[in-house]
Amino acid sequence: MAANQSDALVVVNNVTKEFRRDSFVIPVLLGINLQLARQDYLALMGPSGSGKSTLLNLIAGLDRPTSGEVIVCGTNLGVSSESKLARWRSQHIGFIFQLYNLIPVLTAYENVELPLTLTRLTRRQRDEHVRAALEVVGLSDRLDHYPRQLSGGQEQRVSIARAIATDPTLIVADEPTGDLDAKSGGEILELMRRLNEEFHKTIIMVTHDPNAASRAKRIVHLEKGVLVNTNATPVGATA
Amino acid sequence: MIPVTYNLRNLRVRWVTTVMTVLASGLVVWATVLTFGLSDGIQHALRISGDPLDVIVMRKGADAETSSVITAQTAREVSNLPGISKSPDGQPLCSTEFVTILTKPRRNAGGTTNMIVRGVKPIGKLLRPQFRIVEGRDIQLGVNEIVTSRSMAKRFENLAIGEELEINKIAFKVVGFFEAGGSAAESEVWTDLNDLTGARRIQGAISIVNFRATDVNSRNRLIQQLQEEERFKLKAVTEVRYFEDQMSASYAIQFVGYLIGGFLTFGAMFAAANTMYAAVASRAREIGTLRAIGFSRTSVLASFLIESVILCSLGGALGCLATLPLNGLSTGTANWATFSEITFSFRFGPWVLARGVIMALVMGLLGGLFPAMRAVRMKIIDSLRQA
Repeated sequence: MAANQSDALVVVNNVTKEFRRDSFVIPVLLGINLQLARQDYLALMGPSGSGKSTLLNLIAGLDRPTSGEVIVCGTNLGVSSESKLARWRSQHIGFIFQLYNLIPVLTAYENVELPLTLTRLTRRQRDEHVRAALEVVGLSDRLDHYPRQLSGGQEQRVSIARAIATDPTLIVADEPTGDLDAKSGGEILELMRRLNEEFHKTIIMVTHDPNAASRAKRIVHLEKGVLVNTNATPVGATA
Repeated sequence: MIPVTYNLRNLRVRWVTTVMTVLASGLVVWATVLTFGLSDGIQHALRISGDPLDVIVMRKGADAETSSVITAQTAREVSNLPGISKSPDGQPLCSTEFVTILTKPRRNAGGTTNMIVRGVKPIGKLLRPQFRIVEGRDIQLGVNEIVTSRSMAKRFENLAIGEELEINKIAFKVVGFFEAGGSAAESEVWTDLNDLTGARRIQGAISIVNFRATDVNSRNRLIQQLQEEERFKLKAVTEVRYFEDQMSASYAIQFVGYLIGGFLTFGAMFAAANTMYAAVASRAREIGTLRAIGFSRTSVLASFLIESVILCSLGGALGCLATLPLNGLSTGTANWATFSEITFSFRFGPWVLARGVIMALVMGLLGGLFPAMRAVRMKIIDSLRQA
């Protein structure tokens, strides 16, 4: 479901990204163009070092392009200040990380509540959001568990609950099943499919697992910083 | 803001480093508060010793009572000057006193040190309204008796009630303990003026005249008259001023306190910084995550500063609490103006403890600042890649 630029949620326009290491300039992305509509579910595939995580970071507002434009939810991320970007991320982006990145000293409940403390919600409203999010991921009975008391699959589900608690516009997932066994990975992918289909969440997922990518509505491949085969449609997915 | 629970739980999880840092900063605060408590104790002892209307008259050029000599004739003339208060029975509130120094052994084989013995007439006690006998009785005149304070009895041999102190081979019996509101008088031994000058074989000798003026104007006029009039040419200072001039010992201790406090705070800052650097390094990915989900640089900076301040404040509180058992404990130091010992009590008042708390806060803030800045300077994507 590629979008027209006018109604796209994510617009990546001729984006390049270079990293400097000492005196070396390492080009990572070379003129990327990509659009993503609301409620889309995009899998970004490619070998290690192809630039997929870099592209995801640019779309999530964690980094800025060297040239070109990244416009997400109507905001040109390349020209926003650091503090504006932080606020923007808290309002629009839900993050799912490969290693879950839960705060080890906080309980599942507190981890999910963390991004909500950046909103103006009252304590009671926050409580409703947290419980609803943990209900969606099936962990209502693990509110007071610390991350070390949960399995990897459960930790990732808490991480997903944290990502959806603020009802973000876009969910970005970087190898969400990369650290999980096949069964737990399958459950996470099923959960993400539900988020997209039942809760109409727009998702971009970086993965190098073809099985995980096949759950997305659309797959794009990156190779050496260039997008190839941007219209691939996964087998069995609705285009 | 990142919830403070996050910091508190992290401190609990890393409890070994937390305890070590708390102990280190606590020790620093304890040591510094102790020196401040010392200097405050001395200052208190000297400050409360003076009544604003009381004047000490000494030989011109004398720095202390112990180095002053005045003739009996001059003393009589001073006591007859107008402007001096009267006692209830109409006597001028004017005390001629003889002050001498004895070298006497300390208790517990602590060597010898100088002790001030003051010979007074009964009217001298009226000039010290806080003077009261708290154990035993007051001296009788002409029978070689002495009274002193409990703290002096603890510090010197032969000063317990019933014991005898030798002055020029004449035994003076200790008959009572007095209190004088914690003032410098509590560092002295008091006896009858004539008994003391008799024992010292300088009958009729007078060191100082101490009087109370009727009011401030009279006091100032009398001081001027005693200093300038040809027949006197004496040194006359208010008691308050006299004891202020003796505070050099406390200023020296206070200076050492600030010096030690400064150095130790600097050292403890490194301990706090080290702990916080370790915290930042081990939590790089957490910091990246917090910033990714929307916490600003300022929030992260504040969070790590708060954690550092909590750490050092715990130490500060511990250090201050550890000084409290010593509150009121009496000790002594040399009074360089009189070349004798002054006894005083440690005083850990609100301002002394506040300085300890301020030290802890400074330690926490400065110690945490650089690690916190490192935390916020890390690029989010680099932090997220940390193991």
